[in-house]
Amino acid sequence: MSSLKLRNVTKTFGKTKVIHGIDLDVLEGEFVVFVGPSGCGKSTLLRMIAGLEDISGGELWIGGRQVNEVQAARRGVAMVFQSYALYPHLTVRQNMGFGLKVRKEKPDSIARKVDEAAMTLQLEKLLDRYPRELSGGQRQRVAIGRAIVGDPKVFLFDEPLSNLDAELRVHMRAEIASLHRRLENTMIYVTHDQIEAMTLADRIVVLRDGRIEQVGNPKELYAHPDNIFVAQFIGSPKMNICSADAFAPELTRAGIPMEGVAQIGLRPEHLRIVPDGGLIKGQVALSEYTGGGSLLHVEMEGAGRFLVLSEGQEGPQPGDEVQLDFDTANLHRFDAEGRSLQAAREPVPA
Amino acid sequence: MTGHVRTGTTAPRAPWLTLRRREMFEGWLFVSPTLIGFLIFFLGPLIAIVIYSLSEWNLLSQQMTYIGTANYQDALTQNPDFWHVIRNSVIFAAGLVPLNMTLALALALALCRPGRGVVFFRTAFFAPVVTSAVAWAIVWKFLLQGEAGAVNQMLATVGINGPNWLREPDWAMVAVIATRVLKMVGLNMILYIAALQSIPRDYEDAARLEGAGNWQIFRMVTWPLLAPSTLIIMVITTIGSFKVFDHIYLMTGGGPENGTLVLAFYIYEQAFEFFNVGYASALAMIMFAIVLVLALVQIMLRQKGSA
Amino acid sequence: MELTIRQAAIVKKLCWTLALSVVAVPFLFPFLWMISSAFKNANEIFGQPSLIPDVWRWRNFVEVFEYQPFARQYFNSIYIAVLVTGLTLILSSLAGYALARMRFAGAGLLMLFLLSALMVPEEVTIVPNFFLMKWLGAMDTHIPLVLLPVFGPHGVMATFLMRQYFVSLPKELEEAGKMDGLSRLGVWWKIALPMSRPALAAVAIITFLFSWNLFLEPLVFLSSIENFTLPLALSNFTDPYGSPLWHLQLAATSLAVVPILIVYLIAQRQIIESFAMSGVKG
Repeated sequence: MSSLKLRNVTKTFGKTKVIHGIDLDVLEGEFVVFVGPSGCGKSTLLRMIAGLEDISGGELWIGGRQVNEVQAARRGVAMVFQSYALYPHLTVRQNMGFGLKVRKEKPDSIARKVDEAAMTLQLEKLLDRYPRELSGGQRQRVAIGRAIVGDPKVFLFDEPLSNLDAELRVHMRAEIASLHRRLENTMIYVTHDQIEAMTLADRIVVLRDGRIEQVGNPKELYAHPDNIFVAQFIGSPKMNICSADAFAPELTRAGIPMEGVAQIGLRPEHLRIVPDGGLIKGQVALSEYTGGGSLLHVEMEGAGRFLVLSEGQEGPQPGDEVQLDFDTANLHRFDAEGRSLQAAREPVPA
Repeated sequence: MTGHVRTGTTAPRAPWLTLRRREMFEGWLFVSPTLIGFLIFFLGPLIAIVIYSLSEWNLLSQQMTYIGTANYQDALTQNPDFWHVIRNSVIFAAGLVPLNMTLALALALALCRPGRGVVFFRTAFFAPVVTSAVAWAIVWKFLLQGEAGAVNQMLATVGINGPNWLREPDWAMVAVIATRVLKMVGLNMILYIAALQSIPRDYEDAARLEGAGNWQIFRMVTWPLLAPSTLIIMVITTIGSFKVFDHIYLMTGGGPENGTLVLAFYIYEQAFEFFNVGYASALAMIMFAIVLVLALVQIMLRQKGSA
Repeated sequence: MELTIRQAAIVKKLCWTLALSVVAVPFLFPFLWMISSAFKNANEIFGQPSLIPDVWRWRNFVEVFEYQPFARQYFNSIYIAVLVTGLTLILSSLAGYALARMRFAGAGLLMLFLLSALMVPEEVTIVPNFFLMKWLGAMDTHIPLVLLPVFGPHGVMATFLMRQYFVSLPKELEEAGKMDGLSRLGVWWKIALPMSRPALAAVAIITFLFSWNLFLEPLVFLSSIENFTLPLALSNFTDPYGSPLWHLQLAATSLAVVPILIVYLIAQRQIIESFAMSGVKG
């Protein structure tokens, strides 16, 4: 059954509508990531689910109960905040047990649950410290521990890794993933980082300007983006997009139907440099050495610059003419509205 | 994906107490004690005083008669005391404000950087601020007595024959201004220190590298950057000087020969000693108008500063 | 002889210190003179000026309590100031919290409304409040001395000070509290208030001093000597002709001022910061 359900959910601040009718079903135990550029409404949507923002219209269901007007604490959700929001005047133990204490649980039951959660997160040695005595990663774990203790139906994460340095972020990302495998709770996770989204999610919800652009598992989104926005948002470096006219003759010759195609897209990692016989060609303007290979900025005639990933140590130099080839299956075609014209989309296994 | 669950039929009707309504309700609940008190002890009296000021009160019969603007006319055109009082208040402000601010700024400049002795001097200059105005006035009244006062005795040792400070109208004004400055200057000093410390050190360093001396740095860098603070401190101090009551009441009682009779004291006298409630109320409204104008100037300056 | 930069700096520093010391005399001298005179007898007070009394007359301090119910008056001041401070802390932090954090219709208007109070001096509203208190039968009681400061411009100032502080705090902690199941009141009490200790301390300090030093209100509302508060009592040590009995007056003033000064010396940093925070009081 579905653990969380949104039906035409909207949010208005004064006269501005920031969320425009979101419909979404989240399965029991699913890890769903909301991703999108800043200002897309992903955090607002999460806070509406949490009960920290009221819902202007539509319905929100959690665990088979409509919770639009249910207070945050009674929705059966727990949240991990971006700044962790640990109470500075309480120890780790008190922080983790605070919610249970408010709910008037017995002290021994609180202690048991806190110890259990502390063990899961390897926090046993830190229980009597104050938040200020902890490192960033430790605070993060305490914040997660506080959420675990209440045994919520749904975990909510609001950009939980953005305050950590790059190395720790990768580490914590893996910890969250393994935590999800162990706990098997429903998790909703907000981030602006598409790599976090790709690595963590069972399903990704791409949002823009308060609307869902596409919902799907990471491979689906990568292979079959519904539109140019999603195509460029998912994947790094981002997809090259150019007007279809630039290469229409070559592509038609290659047997690709170009009727109604306004723009085409090619991912940098799908372009191959070939000595000759490539479908399209251009001139290298800049070559950025990345260690394993080079990221080439290739000037395409009439199509602007393309990014191309080239492997190996000896790549072409700036000024070189290069021929580019690609698997036609990796070509993305979009209509004038930017919608994908993907032919019969075969389902990609999750 | 999930099969759609029919939501229309199982959805409960939205309760009357929505989260939004609850927040609103709680918000008003939180402010209600303050608001109710404010209405009773502040807004109510403010309205009342407008009515009083347009009336004549007979305290014996407890009757209030509407007499229009007669009280205001009385003050502005009939009663010579009024203009005398305004003159005194203006002199008091004109003496106190520049003196207070110059001294405050000088002390702040001397004490805004941490160093040995700074804490001692700051503590010393601020001490009168935490002392009650009554105590301060009593002690200074004691020190400023004619021949027997400590100040004049000390002046005598260096050959100066000090005036009878609080018994001669002009000297009394000088005395109340000077002692009031001593009482309050610490507060402005602290405000100036806060303003000075919020100026990034870089400006001064840059000016110094370009060869500016201390005075030039003050004139060209510090003073212009302090301008918003200076304006606000000036308005606050001016308003404060129009409100001064206890200091005058205790040091001179408005005398001698009404030489230090200022507006706040005059209102008190008219209301609670002569029971001219209507007239006192008109005076209070005039005082309110003066303070309001000053406060509006302050708000405008503040908005300009933040814009 | 040329001075090295180091020597020049020392000379400069000495000059500054000397200048500041001279300026400090009229600030500190009154306190010293007050305390020393409090130990002198009525004659010596007007004799040759000297900081050390010839004969230390401790009896002054006994006579202070014989002349009027000074202990009672002292107690009045303390309990009123404590009450005013407590009430102001609770009400201003409640209202300040709502204005900082809660969205409710009319909040903006209410703010404007309260702001206007900052512009009206107590001297203006005291006349109608006099009649209000008379009507309430609260004349010659301490009720007006508690209610007027709490609900007057000072209380409003405290409310805004609290509001400013709450606004500057991160919201997420309170939201975490909400998620943990705290009610609004619970969030305010268990999370917002513990995080606002500096602001609460500032409000407490300036409110206590405000009430402690209040003069106009006691003067207008009190008539029985045993109801007097300290500032009023201090001005009341006079002979039958109305001339001050200086030795008693100064002894009493010392008793009123010295404890405050001691607390001030211990906590000067905190107290000065409190005034800087409030910006406009005294």
